[in-house]
Amino acid sequence: MGSTRLEILGPAGPLGPCSPAEVSLSLDEVRVLNTSVPLFSSRQVASQCQLLQASLGRPSSPQLPQLPDEPVSLQDAPGGVFQMPPGDPFPERVTVVWLSVLALAFALVCEPQENLSLAEITLRRLAPRLLLSLRLVGPGADVLLRPDAADGLLDRLLPHGQMLFLNERFLQAMDRELGLKVSR
Amino acid sequence: MFTAAAESFLRQAREIQEEELRRFTARVSALLQGPEAGPEAVDGLQRLHLSVAATKYPRKLDGKFVEQLQTVLCSPKSPEQIQVLCAAILREMSPCNDLVLSCDEIQDTKLLSLVSSVLLAQGSRGEVAAVGQRVVQGLERRLPEGQSARFLLPVLANVISLSPGSLTEEQTNVVSKKLADWLRYASIQQGTAQPSGGFFSSPRTKQPAPITEVDGAVATDFFTVLSVAQHYTQDQWLNVQAFSMLRNWLLCYGGKELDTLNPGASAGGDSSGTPLVPAPATPGRLLPPRERLRDKAFEYCQRLVEQSTRRPLKKEDGDLQKACLIEAVTIMDIICKQDSSYVCRAVSCLKILHSRICGDATYARALLPIAQFFLSHSKQAAVDSDAIYKHLFSDIPALLFHNPSLAFEFVQFCKDNSQLFTDSSSIFRQSFPNLFKFLAWNSPALISEFVDLLPFLLDPGTAIEIFHLLLDLPCLTAALDIQLRCDTEASLELLPEYGVPELIRAAALPASEKAGAEPAGKPATCLEAFHHPLYRSMFQYLLRSRAAPEDAPDSLVPLRQLLGSLAGSPRVVQCAETVPVLLELFFRVVAEFADGSLINQLVVLLLQRSDQLYEIPAFKEDVYRVLGSNLAMLCGLRPALVVELSTEILEFSGAVSNIQSKEAIFTHLAWAVGEYLSVSHDKRCTVEQITRFFETLEAVLFEITQLRPQASTPSCAPRAISVLMATLTKLAARSQDLIPRVSMFLSKMRTFVQSPAVTSVYCEEDLEEILIRATELMNLLKMPSVAQFVFTPPVASTRFQKEVNDSLPLALRMVTQLLEPAAGSMPV
Repeated sequence: MGSTRLEILGPAGPLGPCSPAEVSLSLDEVRVLNTSVPLFSSRQVASQCQLLQASLGRPSSPQLPQLPDEPVSLQDAPGGVFQMPPGDPFPERVTVVWLSVLALAFALVCEPQENLSLAEITLRRLAPRLLLSLRLVGPGADVLLRPDAADGLLDRLLPHGQMLFLNERFLQAMDRELGLKVSR
Repeated sequence: MFTAAAESFLRQAREIQEEELRRFTARVSALLQGPEAGPEAVDGLQRLHLSVAATKYPRKLDGKFVEQLQTVLCSPKSPEQIQVLCAAILREMSPCNDLVLSCDEIQDTKLLSLVSSVLLAQGSRGEVAAVGQRVVQGLERRLPEGQSARFLLPVLANVISLSPGSLTEEQTNVVSKKLADWLRYASIQQGTAQPSGGFFSSPRTKQPAPITEVDGAVATDFFTVLSVAQHYTQDQWLNVQAFSMLRNWLLCYGGKELDTLNPGASAGGDSSGTPLVPAPATPGRLLPPRERLRDKAFEYCQRLVEQSTRRPLKKEDGDLQKACLIEAVTIMDIICKQDSSYVCRAVSCLKILHSRICGDATYARALLPIAQFFLSHSKQAAVDSDAIYKHLFSDIPALLFHNPSLAFEFVQFCKDNSQLFTDSSSIFRQSFPNLFKFLAWNSPALISEFVDLLPFLLDPGTAIEIFHLLLDLPCLTAALDIQLRCDTEASLELLPEYGVPELIRAAALPASEKAGAEPAGKPATCLEAFHHPLYRSMFQYLLRSRAAPEDAPDSLVPLRQLLGSLAGSPRVVQCAETVPVLLELFFRVVAEFADGSLINQLVVLLLQRSDQLYEIPAFKEDVYRVLGSNLAMLCGLRPALVVELSTEILEFSGAVSNIQSKEAIFTHLAWAVGEYLSVSHDKRCTVEQITRFFETLEAVLFEITQLRPQASTPSCAPRAISVLMATLTKLAARSQDLIPRVSMFLSKMRTFVQSPAVTSVYCEEDLEEILIRATELMNLLKMPSVAQFVFTPPVASTRFQKEVNDSLPLALRMVTQLLEPAAGSMPV
């Protein structure tokens, strides 16, 4: 359970921090995993997302709406889950849970046996907080230049890749610690 | 999708030259050395992180600087933001050769967690083990004031998932003991708020209040992740973390044996089997740590099951309740596998749980781990759990096919338990029509799962029904769409009067029981048709939840036509795109077990169904391609079918329209006739039969080459013409009276290719190829004995599938060369 990893994906590729690599890999393999894998899975998420949008009869919006101050609703945010076979590109089979918000997608790469309900909850909590603290829909470049903010969030909500069973009160306490004001 | 500013940053970061990066690094280094690293240093580190992270090529940073990053990271004087950034850069550079970092001396738990993140990212087993040792040490000892184990537990979770063999038996015992305490004995009083230090705030701390349940009631039992408080204590945070990592911990260390500190050990090895240690006995006796943890974990799960009955004040906690329930049931299953003495208690708890939630669709996902539990243990507990499986496989897919997460988990469940499908009479095997609903609705996410699952569903008893199902899959998507819309309408009408469980039952009712008055005449819309007597039985058959080969209506043609209006819907189109893949797989699997009668049945069906496909042009074209090549494969498996099914084959191949509409199937069939209609394949093959086939195909070829040029009809595929000529020649070689007829026919091909009507529709290369082929065949027929030899392939061919005419060209060309050594006009 400890190796769930988050990826934030824009059409240009992965933006997010990627955490631990598998043991028993060579140095080069670790490097390849750390760099190529997010790219690869981001393409899969992008295509799954487009297919889902198409099946719902919605055009996938190529433009990022400029609504930096509007609270983002996750009510109807499309999301899904799919599996990637071993070696393609992760050495072991993985399950990818994804959520698309505006023109971005957030994806959790999980081990096959993990609690997917919890992964979906975790993703739904991470997304608005990342949007808020990285100003992902704003005009700036915080998403690229504030790895500390992203790490701070991940360290609370997904510490070392561990998904947590947090009820709303725990979450509020966590937001207080981070100084976040998430609309509820 | 970046803004212009971000794009520019990204480009700069990717394109930065080594020299420039070196200068930049030096500047950041100087800023870090200053007495107080301020915003400028933060900014520098952030940019540096981007330049390392934005490229897939390893960035070389100066060794001295990497050393400095590590020093700053570990220095207690550094601001937290700077430390986080240093760690992020070091992680991004992993694996890093210049690392001297160690967590041995670090006392601060937060910093230890940060440094561990760098060490664990290196991908080295040694580092993982070292971090594991240090963290267990930290958990073992009493932590200094102000330090919390809360930051260490996730590190440990990561360590065991990376390399479970990193801990010794003794260490796992230490942690098991701690986990049991955190799970069972967290404080049941609320924590207190951090004093805000406000001028008017009262220094007197309030009396701590008891924790509450998600519905607001005061908690009556011990603390769990579903316990609510205004503020939480450290041990309550640890309770959350302990439960979050509990499943993986039990999988790694809960079983009776584990090769700890063995580099070859793998995670979550098979730990089932009868336990060495007897059941938890008298309460007074202190159990060994592993057994004690099991005991406390079981109690915890039971409490979560109990807590899931409460109605949460906050909607989000309802989602968490369900996730907890799934986790609790899964953990109970693991515990029972590790110690069978828990099975009885678990069975009674889960039976009650099942009957409570089975009517509530929002709990449907929890039904999967419950069914998994009973699959693992019902035999041992001697309980009948068929009702649980039956409900899961007959009701849930039919109602909730449109829930993508459930669909995924359901199909995973089937894959994980694929052995269930080997018993053809079982509830599982019989429910395959229901499983296809998941695929029909969620095809992009599930296609690869179904590629794994389909072989387990196929056997001689199901092959025909699954063949129909696959061909009707996009039609099923359309029908599900209609069903969903009808259900939504129905539920809107029912909503004011009934509660949710009633709603589900109402949705599951057959349409006939819902529709009141029968509408007269033809329905105007698909929605009306759903309840209309003309279509109802067809809808019911297509949407059936169990295998019912004998209930198939005479034809689904009217329904396919009715649903034609949905053929352009994106979901239907996506589903249609998955059919060729599955159809290929279908034939590959069926070929392994099919007997003669099944093969014949399939060939007849294949020809029939080629006329009865859902009207999506690209889909039909793809399906024809797959059906065509697999028709040839089936004929190759069983050549005698050409004789046995001569009526059906003659009917199909005698229709000129089939060349135009179903060229792939027609061509492969004509080829199979030429290849297999021979005494050497089937003794029953008579001269009359050969003549009948010859005359039928001759008439077809005549019609498309000799009659058509006059009319302005569309052209036929040159491949079909070529195969027809070859087949006629092959048949003539076996019944030599026909040789003059075919030779004459072939000689007319020169006039055909030269007629102006023909040259305007066919391209020059194609015509040239047709002429070459005709000339070659004519030449061959000049030596009948050679022709017979060339056209009679060895019967004991092991190739299942041949390319049309793959053996011919070489032989033909050789004969042509023999006959016309100076043939300058014929390219060879």
